[in-house]
Amino acid sequence: MTKGVDRGPAMPRVDMQFDRPHRQHEPRDQISVRYRIEGCEGEHIRAIEHSVLWYTEGKGEEDLGVHFFQRLTDRALLPSATATGAFTTPLPQSPLSYEGVIVKVRWCVRVRLFFEGSRDFVSEHVFTLGRIPPAQLVSSRT
Amino acid sequence: MRLPRFFSKKRGHRRTGSREWGVFGDGLFHGTLLLAGLFFGALLVSGVAAPEWRINHAFLESRCTILAKGLARTTVADLPAAVITTWRPCLRVRYVANESVHESWSDGPSTENTPDREAALRRLAAWTLGSEATCWYDPAAPQTVVLQRGYNWWLWLLSLLLPGALVLIGGSGLVRGLRSWGKSEEHRAASAGLSELLDPLAQPTSAAPGYPAVPVWDDLVNSPGTMLRYRLPIESPENWTLVGFGLFALLWNAVLVVLAVGAGLDLLGGRIDWWLFALLVPFLGVGIGGVIMFIRSLVFATAVGPTQLEIADHPLFPGRRYDVLLAQGGTGTIRSLALSLELEEQATFRQGTDTRTEQAVVWKQSVAVFHEVNAAPHTRFEARAVVEIPPGSMHSFTSSHNAVRWRLVVRGTPEHWPEFSRIFPVVVFPPDDEAKEPSPRPAGSGEASRSREVSR
Repeated sequence: MTKGVDRGPAMPRVDMQFDRPHRQHEPRDQISVRYRIEGCEGEHIRAIEHSVLWYTEGKGEEDLGVHFFQRLTDRALLPSATATGAFTTPLPQSPLSYEGVIVKVRWCVRVRLFFEGSRDFVSEHVFTLGRIPPAQLVSSRT
Repeated sequence: MRLPRFFSKKRGHRRTGSREWGVFGDGLFHGTLLLAGLFFGALLVSGVAAPEWRINHAFLESRCTILAKGLARTTVADLPAAVITTWRPCLRVRYVANESVHESWSDGPSTENTPDREAALRRLAAWTLGSEATCWYDPAAPQTVVLQRGYNWWLWLLSLLLPGALVLIGGSGLVRGLRSWGKSEEHRAASAGLSELLDPLAQPTSAAPGYPAVPVWDDLVNSPGTMLRYRLPIESPENWTLVGFGLFALLWNAVLVVLAVGAGLDLLGGRIDWWLFALLVPFLGVGIGGVIMFIRSLVFATAVGPTQLEIADHPLFPGRRYDVLLAQGGTGTIRSLALSLELEEQATFRQGTDTRTEQAVVWKQSVAVFHEVNAAPHTRFEARAVVEIPPGSMHSFTSSHNAVRWRLVVRGTPEHWPEFSRIFPVVVFPPDDEAKEPSPRPAGSGEASRSREVSR
């Protein structure tokens, strides 16, 4: 599923391919992704950021932990508007993906494109780390 | 170029403020603090610190004869309808400066001003007319002369502390804002080291080495057990109730004593303030009620007796079993004493200007239940049990605003007292290679192929 928000001058698209079926990874696995950028012809990309991170969802304020971060600004390294990219990183032991009641932990790969001017575009692709079953409410209090 | 929007969309359906406008407002706030600090610092340095420094370093020494004495009066309007008058001793002296004789009233720092005229007169009496004394004059303006030198350290401290604090808070906020300007949230999070140092309100969470977002467990294993390896620290909700009632009773009755002393002094002076007495009656009632609640909580906390829990190993791993020892002290009979293992989620969020924390128990398993427990002063009740962390369960997790916590909970029902609960936190690690027993992925979670793209 790909969802777009705030269509600007052109709405790019990043097709992401994970090396594992169903995007299911285990702790300390190597994660390898390949992506293809489409739909931003005529626009110059001045930087690309690759990141592998976890973030929390649910009732609490969002927390975020970046496990892998790479920023490409060298024009020679930047892909052209319709090129592909790839990166690889070992995954950590924790935190594992978790589908809780008021706290959820999600892992994702993000590719962020920075265009000339102040516009940027982020493409986020969720994957699962570990195999924790979802939680169910027993009791709650505030 | 378009202006950033005031509101942007967060995950789910909640609207949140625009980050750009937030950074702009933050920068404006910290910039104002920085400017205010620089402005007040400059005022204090030029008005107080610099003149005092010049007197001590640039003024030249000479001898003078005291010709006359007097008090300099300064009157300042204190709105709306009063004035403040201060007094400062002044001496008219004759002295030689730049090879010529001068006569002038001595000057001095404005800190010598006092609202107590008698004190100023006593200081003036220390000088004798016609006597000689050492003086210091300004070589650039020889008519300016002082008879005393030195530093008012508290004023220097004040001139450094107050503007210094404003400059530090404003400057660090501005640097933090500038460092994060134009950076993505991933970039900011990846280079959070200096930003956290610059943010006095940041609450970084410490993680176990090699296990990001898993809390450290050092505080849970620093007490050895009597039978098993570790004695777990206790978190008792009743203790917080006791502290709350104690603080309330103390503060409320302190106010009550102040009011009562005022009313008593009035009474001794032959005046009766009926309004004050009428106020004292309900205050006294609440004060007595607070003391009764505190004593009741204190008796309850001490009457049941201490609960101790020892465990054979720590931290814990999913799929493994651990011996625990439950010990209950005190006297009397406890109808039932239940030990359970629980998994609790905790989320902290802002609601308006309040910060709220919500907890939800998402998994609970009874470990052991004991009935008709009798404890005596010298023979505590002891029982062993085995706790198993289910295979494939979530590990302990902590971040700035969210947590998943494992805990052992002892709930007791004493014969003559209300029920009590005592909580013993434990840390569960992700499964290690030996204990890894992957459970089948539950159907319906469907998140593995989720993708999202946002442009701004």
